[in-house]
Amino acid sequence: MSDEDEAVRGEVILVTHPAPARQAGPLDAIKGVFSNTVGMAGYTASTVASLIEQTVATAVESSVNAALDRLVPSIADAIIERIDINKIVLEQVDLNLIVNRALDTLDLTQLVIDRVDVNAIVAEADIDAVIDRVPIIPLANYVIDEIDLPQIIRDSTSGIAGDAMNTVRRQSVGVDDLVSRIADRVVFRRKSRDVDAPGDPNSLKGQFVEELVEPTPPLGEGEKLR
Amino acid sequence: MTTFREYREALKEGAVPARDLPTLPSDAIAFQGERAGFVTRALAAGIDVVLVFLTVLGTVAVVWMLSFIIDPMTPNTPLTSSTDRLPPTWLMMVYGYVLNVLYWTVGWATGGRTIGNLIMGVRVVNFRGERVHWIGALVRALFCTVFPFGLLWVIVSGANRSVQDVVLRTSVIYDWVIGIPGLSSRAGAPKQAP
Repeated sequence: MSDEDEAVRGEVILVTHPAPARQAGPLDAIKGVFSNTVGMAGYTASTVASLIEQTVATAVESSVNAALDRLVPSIADAIIERIDINKIVLEQVDLNLIVNRALDTLDLTQLVIDRVDVNAIVAEADIDAVIDRVPIIPLANYVIDEIDLPQIIRDSTSGIAGDAMNTVRRQSVGVDDLVSRIADRVVFRRKSRDVDAPGDPNSLKGQFVEELVEPTPPLGEGEKLR
Repeated sequence: MTTFREYREALKEGAVPARDLPTLPSDAIAFQGERAGFVTRALAAGIDVVLVFLTVLGTVAVVWMLSFIIDPMTPNTPLTSSTDRLPPTWLMMVYGYVLNVLYWTVGWATGGRTIGNLIMGVRVVNFRGERVHWIGALVRALFCTVFPFGLLWVIVSGANRSVQDVVLRTSVIYDWVIGIPGLSSRAGAPKQAP
């Protein structure tokens, strides 16, 4: 064991002795009175100051507010009178952007459905004026062609003799087809017969076949419905 | 289905909605203008041949009756068989063939149809799809009368053509008309071919 370890293991003993009470002198009494007086005066001064501040603030604020209430509208009116707000808005504001933003966020259709009484509008509308603009005759012709009215008339008026003959023809065409198919199978013909003859049959002349109306292509970009 | 807009656009582009009653059932439109098959053509030819045969018989009957006017029987006339007054068979056959050729020629050269063709709804056209000319019709009628078996080629032909069609470049197409003229109602009456 080294000497250093011996030193560490040494003990320190603290002994307390009560100090003798100091006698308060007159100077101390004067100090105490003075410090107390100063403290009281400071506290009183700060309290009074805050009271004054509050009173003044309240008085000033109400009077200033009253003054502002009178002044600001008249000033604003004077400013507005001297400024062309429309011009400023038109020049400085991107109205398209704002309107588009607004339209993007709104579902106008739903809005109209919810808020607008369409029936009331229709009830008030001048239907005659609308009908005047509708192409009635082309519409009637369209309906006649679309329901194939000539065919209906023909079907309801064709005679029994014609029906019987058409039945024979139809059956004959069916048998033609059957015979052709059997013969094609016998001679191992795979491709179908070339039965398209030149020219048009008289029976189809004047017929408004659907193929006459070319199907219109779907509307492209930027194209609008008429 | 055509929309009203498509319809109006078609009209603007010059389409004409002709409603002159084409006299055709809707289900028959699809095969109109196609070359007819064997059975239809054979039936049409058969009807024609029967008509010619009946005409020959009628002619013979008339001739037979006329013979009694020209050469009436008297009590002195020897009693002979009634068949003696009939023309010879070979003459009747020649007459039948000639009548058939003439009948088909006239039918095909005028309307492209004989009565058999009309009933079965077929028409004879040339290589342009038009009505055959008189000479063409005559040659075809002769060919068909002399060699009727040429029709059998329709069965195996890849284009529904008979031997006559192949040689003369003709076609027999489905081309219906409603009813028999005179028997059908006015609304279903066929338009005359131009």
